[in-house]
Amino acid sequence: MKEPDSLTFMMGEFAAIFPTDRQYAKNHMWAMTQSEGVYRFGFTAYAVRLLQDVYFLEWSVDAGVTLAERQEMGAIESKKAESALYSPIAGRLPRFNNELLSDPSTINVDKYGEGWLFEIEGSSDELLSAADYVKHLESVWEVTQRTIKGQLN
Amino acid sequence: MAKRIAVVVSQGQSQNPAKRGLEEDIVAALIMEPGIDVTVIPHLYDLKPDGTGVLALDGIKGNLIVLSWLYERGARWILDRNNICGRVGQTLIKADESDEEEDEEEIVAGDDGKQRVIGKREIPNRRIYCIDLRVHDAAQPYIDEIKRIAAENTQKLVQLGDWLQGVAKPEQLERFANPTNTTALGGNGNGKSRHEEADDAPVKQTDVIRIAETGDRRWYPVIDYSRCTNCMECIDFCLFGVYGVDKVETILVEQPDNCRKGCPACSRVCPENAIMFPQHKTPAIAGAAVGLVGLKIDLSKLFGAPDEGKSAEEIAALERDEQLVLAGRDAVGMAVGMRKRQEGQPDQPRDELDDLIDGLDELDL
Repeated sequence: MKEPDSLTFMMGEFAAIFPTDRQYAKNHMWAMTQSEGVYRFGFTAYAVRLLQDVYFLEWSVDAGVTLAERQEMGAIESKKAESALYSPIAGRLPRFNNELLSDPSTINVDKYGEGWLFEIEGSSDELLSAADYVKHLESVWEVTQRTIKGQLN
Repeated sequence: MAKRIAVVVSQGQSQNPAKRGLEEDIVAALIMEPGIDVTVIPHLYDLKPDGTGVLALDGIKGNLIVLSWLYERGARWILDRNNICGRVGQTLIKADESDEEEDEEEIVAGDDGKQRVIGKREIPNRRIYCIDLRVHDAAQPYIDEIKRIAAENTQKLVQLGDWLQGVAKPEQLERFANPTNTTALGGNGNGKSRHEEADDAPVKQTDVIRIAETGDRRWYPVIDYSRCTNCMECIDFCLFGVYGVDKVETILVEQPDNCRKGCPACSRVCPENAIMFPQHKTPAIAGAAVGLVGLKIDLSKLFGAPDEGKSAEEIAALERDEQLVLAGRDAVGMAVGMRKRQEGQPDQPRDELDDLIDGLDELDL
């Protein structure tokens, strides 16, 4: 039987869609193989749903840098949220999507395509399949809500 | 007689010349305005409960505009705890530039049938306007806003028919217009009543009343009774005896000076976000007019930040422990005075989790 093109996870009443043609990282980024060991990353529907309109994106590291997993690498500001950004995997980062810097709203318009963030040469060991990512979402959905609620205090 | 309005300028804690300049510019402009009485007092939050500042505020019976270096909510409920009560006066000077509509939605969303303490109170029929001096750098917007409010408030204080049940008889009107008792006659001896004379006389410019107090900076929680449901979580949580109950079993801040300086822990455990610390650096704790829709959420924890996040209750317990240890007592962790949130929930069809899930949709455009 043909595998579905995408999987869905319900964030309250919002249906977040995740294409199965790529892998995923726990920090809510997707990873698409560009070539052997090189992955292109972007935000998943889960992340974009929480951010909403992206206003500002900046990177605190330069292209060519080698990053550790979860190393802080930039920041994002949106209509509803702000966040520091952390590396999904360890490896060398050859390229950022520079178009995004002048118009970060592409993330909202085409999150799985033109809204890609950067590429990293690294290992896919930590990456998840779409199905495993959705399972991961089921376990963190509670934490997500508590994070948002906790922010009020 | 035109209705006068009282304006109180509550000076900031710091000697910052820009802040003092702003205060004085506003005062100087208002002295020139007819119908406005200006009083300058120290920082609202630091006023002594039995001091001259509160006394001056208490003496103001009519509509009141308070300018302070505090969020509107903070100022309003500090006044309230000093028994300066009234209806909410709407001001156009707002700190938050976000969509008014969204804010209202959130406020309405909070109207979920819970009984709030404010519902049981009698509110005096006068309006209190609280204005945050941090919104604008210049005096003009404040002066304009005060003039707008003053104009809104101007009305004849006394109508001839007001004092009578029904319609005045001609002889009653005659007695009123030309009273025979000497105390009611105007000083000019024209046979005019005092009220008629007041209309004739030019409105005097009053001097500014300035009040100073010596005293330290204070630190204590301020309860917003429009949110408080009297659930008593705060009194259970605080181990320093700050909270108490009044004669009708309503929660109040009984021993404010028992509060540990800088500690905001109790504000984190209040399920209704009804506790403010107006001097705290976090706007939400200081009473900023933001709900779920106004403030930007920090998603770092979700986007891969290495640190393990803590819930509000966990942070509160840590802060409380910090204070206990500083006071030479033992830390208690989460074991004492903290109720499990889900207790008693199974009986209800909806719980907070459902509200939050739907609340995420209210985040939507």
